[in-house]
Amino acid sequence: MEERIVEFISALRSSGVRVSLAESADAMKAISAVGVMDRQTFKNALKATLVKEPADVPSFEQLFPLYFGHEGPPMQPPQGLSQEQQEQLRRAIEQLREQLRQLMQMLAQGQQPTREQMQQFAQKAGINRGMRGNRQVQEWLTERMLRQMGLTPEQVKDALEALMKQLKQQGMSAEGRQEVRETVEGNAEALREQVARFVGQSLLNQPDDNPRRQRIDDLMNRPLSSLSEAEADELRNHVRRLVARLRSRAALRMRRGKQGHFDAKGTIRYNQRNLGVPIELKMKRRHLKPKLTVIVDVSTSMRPVAEFMLRMVYEMQDQISKARSFAFISDMHEISMIFAENRPQDAVEIVLRELPPGYYNTDLGHSLSTFCEKFSDSVDSRTTLIFVGDGRNNYNDPRADLVQMLRMRARRVIWFNPEPPYQWGHGDSDMLAYAPLCHAVHQVATLKQLADAIDDLFQNR
Amino acid sequence: MFKQIADVKQGLLEQRYIASDEIATVVFLAEQMGKPILAEGPAGVGKTELAKAWAAASGRELIRLQCYEGLDESKALYEWEYSKQMLYTQLLRDKLSQIMGEATTLAEAADALSKEENVFFSRRFLLPRPLLRALMNDKPVVLLIDEIDRADAEFEAFLLEILSDFQVSVPELGTIKANHQPMVVLTSNNTRELSEALKRRALYLFVDYPSFESELRIVQMRAPDLAPQVARQCVEIVQRLRGLDLKKAPSVAETVDWAKALVAINAKHLDEKTLNDTLTVILKHESDIQRARRALSGGKRGQDLGVR
Repeated sequence: MEERIVEFISALRSSGVRVSLAESADAMKAISAVGVMDRQTFKNALKATLVKEPADVPSFEQLFPLYFGHEGPPMQPPQGLSQEQQEQLRRAIEQLREQLRQLMQMLAQGQQPTREQMQQFAQKAGINRGMRGNRQVQEWLTERMLRQMGLTPEQVKDALEALMKQLKQQGMSAEGRQEVRETVEGNAEALREQVARFVGQSLLNQPDDNPRRQRIDDLMNRPLSSLSEAEADELRNHVRRLVARLRSRAALRMRRGKQGHFDAKGTIRYNQRNLGVPIELKMKRRHLKPKLTVIVDVSTSMRPVAEFMLRMVYEMQDQISKARSFAFISDMHEISMIFAENRPQDAVEIVLRELPPGYYNTDLGHSLSTFCEKFSDSVDSRTTLIFVGDGRNNYNDPRADLVQMLRMRARRVIWFNPEPPYQWGHGDSDMLAYAPLCHAVHQVATLKQLADAIDDLFQNR
Repeated sequence: MFKQIADVKQGLLEQRYIASDEIATVVFLAEQMGKPILAEGPAGVGKTELAKAWAAASGRELIRLQCYEGLDESKALYEWEYSKQMLYTQLLRDKLSQIMGEATTLAEAADALSKEENVFFSRRFLLPRPLLRALMNDKPVVLLIDEIDRADAEFEAFLLEILSDFQVSVPELGTIKANHQPMVVLTSNNTRELSEALKRRALYLFVDYPSFESELRIVQMRAPDLAPQVARQCVEIVQRLRGLDLKKAPSVAETVDWAKALVAINAKHLDEKTLNDTLTVILKHESDIQRARRALSGGKRGQDLGVR
């Protein structure tokens, strides 16, 4: 049993579940505590000790039956043969050639091959424990092992004919022979099934169906604009998780006492209990209530990533009570209300519908002047202003002076740009004019970069 | 304590906690192997309740440590009680001057005083916080470390030391070893990834929302006065609501609250009006309520949500 558990653990490892040595030792201890009588309990015990991530549960569920499933259908001895007929069968088998004899003992009399025998066959077929292989390899190896055992349908048929001839010579009745034939065929089928399972267990599951974790990492590093629908769904889930983390970080803004200013009044008051000896210093915490204003470019060039950006903006607005968001193509529109009133998915759709992409009509300069005219109240000394866009302006006036003015009014100005720095300033990009005016510019082309940028945002407050 | 897994199940049931096979197995293993349990899952599925029920079922005291950002050793482990030390110094002033009276030089006085030092750094002036209380307790306890994901990573690392050795060192006193190894339950709402090291040391238990049948049993157990038909509808609605894309899905605790609310207003059946009036018990966001109402009247007459 221990051996089997160790094999199971290495299969788990090869399918991407991280199992440490200490955990496998725990698994053994757990099994000796609960015993192996009840399969469900056994499974729960293994699960509790080996699987520590909800994401790894599917791998566990998939591998468990492979290793601790039933061995495959059991083999049956022939039913309804009289004493005499059984004796005839035994003698007939003895008359067979050496190799056939062993096979027929298993098939006709329902003798289960032992695990050692199976291993011998496997070795002859060139299957080593811990070999790596995918499904095709597995099928091919199974075929080889069946051939080694003489279990392929043709081989069984030939062997059966030889046995029948012997039985006829022994004078067994037609019904008896029919019975033996059916038993042999049934058992051959059962044994084939067992062999297939045996081979499956011997092979370590090859990464053809598992490296989930890798995929997430891949996804994190893939450009947001080149995702398939399913991948986008998966990413959305990931965004949700990211946001949950962000939420806890935002909610947990409470700083340690030592980082505040010395609070003389508080210290005297608190240390009254120590007879006025200032044993413990009290610090004043400055609770900075952040204000956030986000301006998102939803023009044609930004469309592929706009959905994710908007979603992120939505979540950020959800986090910070004083947040306002704006979107622009040729002119600035406030979208805070849409975000406040709708569910994330709907809100993003509404924004993208209300601001349909045009043809070469992006105009950040004009949008900025509208912003300064109509919404300048949304930027003050506590506001972090975030631009999300590629800074491509269709050769319109970039109005960097307005960004300069906003920078003077805002606490921080940050720019998220999906383009890599080497593309800035090429074609109609005005990024080089804007970049020096920002406190920080992040390239945000992948979710990972987005996560990093946002982490940075919440840390450097 | 428990001989079999079935005993665990029965014990928890007596504390009005319905444990799945998985939960019972993990609790049993934790008892047998002396390992902490790390329970993860959405908020309000009964992770904290499990610790309480376990403590009650095994007759242990429950000591709870609620984690939050900025939780540090002095809040979690121990603190010197300065004010008490001060007070003693003041009251014992005469005695002190007597001890130091014989000294002729400052150095002698300091030496004399340092001999008495350990009076002031003794357990007498140690203010034990939950972790130390759990270790020093005369009887075995269940230590509940709630919402570990809210504490910082440093605190998690500090916890590891305690969880693996069940001892702490207080510089002035030396090492304090646990009298009895406490049974530890850590809960996490999965808002951040916990460290591998912590996971490695614990038995992992993922608690998810219960199935329809288990939730119905929970409701019937916690709100026995609710008419069976209403209880059924109640659970049906909650289960479907969880399928919607809500900001905050209703938890089991909220289902129970709702059931109790329905008992309080003496609802004989769950018609649309009662539902609209009491929906705020299970849904805590305005947009969620709007959405639920829409889903409810949309699937008119409420087929979608199991309202008859």
